[in-house]
Amino acid sequence: MSILHDEGQQAIATESRRVLEARISKDDLLPLLETSGRYHEGFWTTAKEQGWTALALPEAYGGLDLGLVELGLIAHQAGRSLSGAPFLTSGFGAAKAIELLGTDAQKQRWLPGLASGEAIGAVAFAAGADPLPARPDLTCASGHIEGRARSVTAGLAADVAIVLADEAGTPVLALVDLAGVERSAIDSFDNSRLIADLRFAGTPAEVIATGPAAHGAALQILALQAVVTAHEQTGGAEALMEIARDYAVTRKAFGQPIGAFQSIKHRIAELYGLVELARANCIHAAARADQADFITAAAAARLSATEAYDTAARDCVQIHGGIGVTWEIGLHLHMRRSRSLALEQGNSLFWEDILVDRLAGEAA
Amino acid sequence: MSDLEAFRAKVAAWCESMVPAFGKAARKGLSVEEDLALGRRYQKAKFDAGFAGINWPTEYGGQGLGHIEKITFEGEEMKHGFPNVYFGISLGMPVPVLMQFGSDREFVKERVVKALKGEEIWCQLFSEPSGGTDLAGLRTRAEPDGNGWKINGQKVWTSWAQYSDYGVIVVRTDPTVAKHKGLTYFWVDMKAPGVTVRPIKLAGGDSHVNEVFFDDVKISDDHRMSPVGGGFAVALTTLMIERYVATDSAGFGPHLDLFVDLAKDVKINGKPAIEDGRIRQQIARNYAMRAGLDSINRRARLMMQAGMTPGPEGSLNKLVAVRSRQKLSELALDLQGTDAFPFDEHASPKDDWASSWINAPTGRIAGGSDETLLNTIAERILGLPQDHRPDKGIPFNQIPA
Repeated sequence: MSILHDEGQQAIATESRRVLEARISKDDLLPLLETSGRYHEGFWTTAKEQGWTALALPEAYGGLDLGLVELGLIAHQAGRSLSGAPFLTSGFGAAKAIELLGTDAQKQRWLPGLASGEAIGAVAFAAGADPLPARPDLTCASGHIEGRARSVTAGLAADVAIVLADEAGTPVLALVDLAGVERSAIDSFDNSRLIADLRFAGTPAEVIATGPAAHGAALQILALQAVVTAHEQTGGAEALMEIARDYAVTRKAFGQPIGAFQSIKHRIAELYGLVELARANCIHAAARADQADFITAAAAARLSATEAYDTAARDCVQIHGGIGVTWEIGLHLHMRRSRSLALEQGNSLFWEDILVDRLAGEAA
Repeated sequence: MSDLEAFRAKVAAWCESMVPAFGKAARKGLSVEEDLALGRRYQKAKFDAGFAGINWPTEYGGQGLGHIEKITFEGEEMKHGFPNVYFGISLGMPVPVLMQFGSDREFVKERVVKALKGEEIWCQLFSEPSGGTDLAGLRTRAEPDGNGWKINGQKVWTSWAQYSDYGVIVVRTDPTVAKHKGLTYFWVDMKAPGVTVRPIKLAGGDSHVNEVFFDDVKISDDHRMSPVGGGFAVALTTLMIERYVATDSAGFGPHLDLFVDLAKDVKINGKPAIEDGRIRQQIARNYAMRAGLDSINRRARLMMQAGMTPGPEGSLNKLVAVRSRQKLSELALDLQGTDAFPFDEHASPKDDWASSWINAPTGRIAGGSDETLLNTIAERILGLPQDHRPDKGIPFNQIPA
């Protein structure tokens, strides 16, 4: 797995960009905001057809055995295209949990479907403000889960979920078949992500890790997903930087392009800095997936990517002036996505603490 | 072990062996003149060991290796605080330009070798009182004088001019054409009659920069390193020599580990500062930023090793690192409260927060101010338009003062 973006990797980036630019348009995305329970089906069809769902999974279970660097390239393009990559990140997270912790039978049962995209995966660790609660809201007793998992991304469509639950005061990670589980769609500011509450009522579950191991594995899964999401955020930030640049060279005021005013051009140059720092952190983190410093690298990638996308969304709209806040121009699609991606996979506050605990030598 | 790793190991071992003679402890308490003398001995030792002019041609005393070996060496060397600062500009810009554009090749060769050995130092005479960023607006003039030229005017912010034997200089030879078309590039003997150097004491207490006055300084035409009127292009070459030099994501200030140590030591409201959310956020943000720069630079080195050209993102290093060093240094002083008052003006900005803080503004201005760097990114990388320039295309002598 090279971080230099060799020919094969460049082909992945170029081809995914070409396909997504041809198949996804703002006109498809805007209506999705006004309904709940619908997502961009074209993206998912494309992801399956192009093998993106299989990319980073083991060959023995229908995967392509590539790594996080390659999946990151796809996620970056998904971020640029605003596709939202529904299910790509959550499916990857669920599959990695099963690959790392599951039994052979569990792998046989779920991995081929997750690799082909026929099965959709979700990961439900968070309890509101706490991305990785020491005392989860869900409870687990003799292989059955009780309670409500709130605002789970992809929850409305998922076939299988990895959940964090409390079993007599000890955290456990469990694999849950979602067939028959009651779900209710959340009407959100970013509706195409199929966010849903999942209501478990004695739902059968298979425990795949217990105690500190469960917590450690959950953090690893969360970090893997965070790195994919960070690539998506960086892609979104890069697209916004380019949109801002293109607008600034064409829009004129006081007899010159607005990009000739330093208040505008410096703002865009600052975005360039944020995007490149995030990209560099993302590539580094993706290459460290199996190393001892992965959590630190993932935290750095996540923090810089969130900052890049948030800032780019804010500034790109500002540079556009009035036209920037219209429904039609669609910059709010990026505003919305920048927030939803910032909240999924642990917010910045969470990753700041994770990072400083490690830098100060206080991590468990 | 790859060839490069073997090279790095050799360099690391050599650097370690130099610590007793030239390390921080050996330099402690020395006057600038004593430190410079030590620096000359260090530079000679570097030359003798085959680490001077690493990527320069062997016929000029260099080692004929690649850029990657050069920055590998610098990365190791940087860890030890050796007295090499006096030669940074000399060997970084003026001497490579002399090598490329000097006309008398025997003379050039002699100068280059002496510079590599630390026997001679070159300075770069670009900035003037009327402007630094606006280089082409310079006013120092050279007029034809017999078979040569006569220079009059003033330069400023010239690093190490007081210790320099030679300098490269850009002057105006034709004020009747547009400003960047009337410039010519020369070298000058800093000991020549009519050259006066006056050190400027900076806010942090040191005096490494100077004013340099030229009063009827006469030079022959073989000092000329550009066509008459073609000096701006050579000046740009000087400034663009290397984008990926050895960089420091700490902005040549203290490492973040030192901030973490400080935050563990001091208390806020009776609790260790490392537990305070405001402090934790700054540590995390600074780490993410510095890790980003480190990753950019690591990847650039790998690309160079693989024969690829690194992207333009290396231009972020100075901009991002130095201004964040400034803020972090302020916060480090805040953390110490009144304990931060004792001040040692000879402390190193690499490990002392007050020294880092008070010298940080120089870093944000010298070698391209933050604002200039942002303009460069906006215009060169992103294709945004140039600023409005009322003096564009107007003969220099008709630009309103």
